[in-house]
Amino acid sequence: MKEFTYVLPRSLPEAEAAAKKPGATLKAAGIDLVDRMKERQFQPTEVVNLLLLQPDLGGITADADGSMRIGALATLAQIAASKDFAAEGYAALREAAGEAATPQVRNRATAAGNVLQQARCWYLRSSELHCLHGKDGPSCLAQVGDNRYHSVLGYHDCVRVHPSNLAPALLALDCEYTTQLAGKQQRRRVADLFPLEPKAQLEEHTLLPGEIVIAFHVKAQPKSARSAYRESREKLSFDWATTAAAARVVMDGGVIQEASLVLAAVAPVPLPRPDAAKLLIGQKPSDELFHRVALRAFADARPLSHNAYKVQVGQAIVREVLHATTR
Amino acid sequence: MTEDRSTGSAFSRRAFLKGASAAAVTGAAATAATHARGPVELETFAPGTHAIALQVNGKEQKLAVESRTTLLDALRDRLDLTGAKKGCDRGACGGCTVIVDGVTVNSCLMLAIDAIGKPITTVEGLAQGGVDHPLVQNFAHCDAMQCGFCTPGMVMSSLQCLNQNQQPDRQTIQRAIAGNICRCGTYGRVCEAVERTAAGRGDQALRAPAHGGSK
Ligand SMILES: Cc1cc2nc3c(=O)[nH]c(=O)nc-3n(C[C@H](O)[C@H](O)[C@H](O)COP(=O)(O)OP(=O)(O)OC[C@H]3O[C@@H](n4cnc5c(N)ncnc54)[C@H](O)[C@@H]3O)c2cc1C
Ligand code: FES
Ligand code: FES
Repeated sequence: MKEFTYVLPRSLPEAEAAAKKPGATLKAAGIDLVDRMKERQFQPTEVVNLLLLQPDLGGITADADGSMRIGALATLAQIAASKDFAAEGYAALREAAGEAATPQVRNRATAAGNVLQQARCWYLRSSELHCLHGKDGPSCLAQVGDNRYHSVLGYHDCVRVHPSNLAPALLALDCEYTTQLAGKQQRRRVADLFPLEPKAQLEEHTLLPGEIVIAFHVKAQPKSARSAYRESREKLSFDWATTAAAARVVMDGGVIQEASLVLAAVAPVPLPRPDAAKLLIGQKPSDELFHRVALRAFADARPLSHNAYKVQVGQAIVREVLHATTR
Repeated sequence: MTEDRSTGSAFSRRAFLKGASAAAVTGAAATAATHARGPVELETFAPGTHAIALQVNGKEQKLAVESRTTLLDALRDRLDLTGAKKGCDRGACGGCTVIVDGVTVNSCLMLAIDAIGKPITTVEGLAQGGVDHPLVQNFAHCDAMQCGFCTPGMVMSSLQCLNQNQQPDRQTIQRAIAGNICRCGTYGRVCEAVERTAAGRGDQALRAPAHGGSK
């Protein structure tokens, strides 16, 4: 790791001021950041630590309108164990956080850091290889190289995958997030955090330089809402998902009234599939129905040379997550 | 992790400031003055070494680190606590597992400066006055190691499991050690060692959780 100046602000204004400096980067637990810095793939000159801002950025608390506020610094372990998310409507959050990585990683990894971690791609995360994404290389090396873990959907000129467990769950529940920049707070939908066209030349998220995520907001879920997160992976622990899906369903009298479906680990951004989810509305749950939804969710898949398996496995995961929300 | 970090850190930072060379810290005097009263403000660790204090196995340890020094390197190279192992240095093996502030962490991905003011327990903390913690005794009894490289990390995850559950079932133990890779495949015996400890076997004089197991 290259040397850097480590800045430890004690207040949001201090953090904002420090983050404005050229070459500065924000750090939560640093699990992704330290990894990239050791790799020398990312070499910030100033690292601004957010961990001492617990009073502003920590905890999981209820807001006056009944929605839940997940502080940017809340850990995956806290989310997974939170009694506030015990109801079925929030299960996707618990499951996504509780299935990620390892106990040691979940104990420190923060909500914002998890959602904003850099995409997975062994070419892009290597300091020695110059690909298209953020490195001014001539081409996306994964398109012609070993792309077994890369995108099958929604990609343009770069086939990296968005690896966050939490992001699809937040999207399935149509959550919001608050940021602070230049003393002003803004609240937007989590869907706005990701670019619509995730091109190689673009940032992986839509935050402006120095913009600090304060919290995520989860709407109060009705009793009839159920949500779930399911993923496939090669190992039972330690592993990032090869495909993942989060879903939320509201039923009435055995008929599906509302539905959302989000895929992850198959595209450069977590990918909502509203057209597939629409097939569920007004229907009674059945495997035949879920099969059609799964086909639709991957209808525009364009697998690469080594990852065609992701289409079939991803479809199975979609069926599984829909069964989990309607059982 | 909702306790007031500012008080805990303020204390250790005073200790840190005492040992620090004046040039090493920006605004050290101003910071020291405010620490005593309450509102604490921004600190900066420039490139170069800084004297800090860490609370390791119940003792305050003074040491010199750089901003980029990981907790693992601080423990191994500065404090000669070589129990925690550097397997992958990337959070992908669990060999470096220690308990910080009551939870297991990969010390290879944690900056040493982030551990200031927090109780740290390493595997060395489980042998006091020449007596091993019952969990360590049971690792030996169950022969829960082969090459032993993963063992210190495995012991820390096992200890955390017992700190959180007095009578963990197999599945709970398996989940608790799911962040520790053992190339020699000792998992089954590790589970037995945890179960034996939970069942009260081994010398229970040291059964109380070690430092930092408070949460
Ligand atoms: C072995 C291993 C397995 C893993 N498996 C999984 C897995 O299965 N699923 C999964 O989802 N993840 C997995 N991870 C990744 C891990 O979850 C992330 O690295 C972690 O969540 C990052 O969180 P952090 O707090 O450490 O973020 P940091 O590393 O501190 O930050 C990550 C990024 O977010 C930015 N950032 C952080 N907080 C803020 C904020 N409040 N405002 C603005 N920007 C911010 C930082 O600038 C940085 O760019 C794995 C990691 C390891 C080591
Ligand atoms: S050395 Fe830290 S997890 Fe491998
Ligand atoms: S005993 Fe050899 S790695 Fe676990």
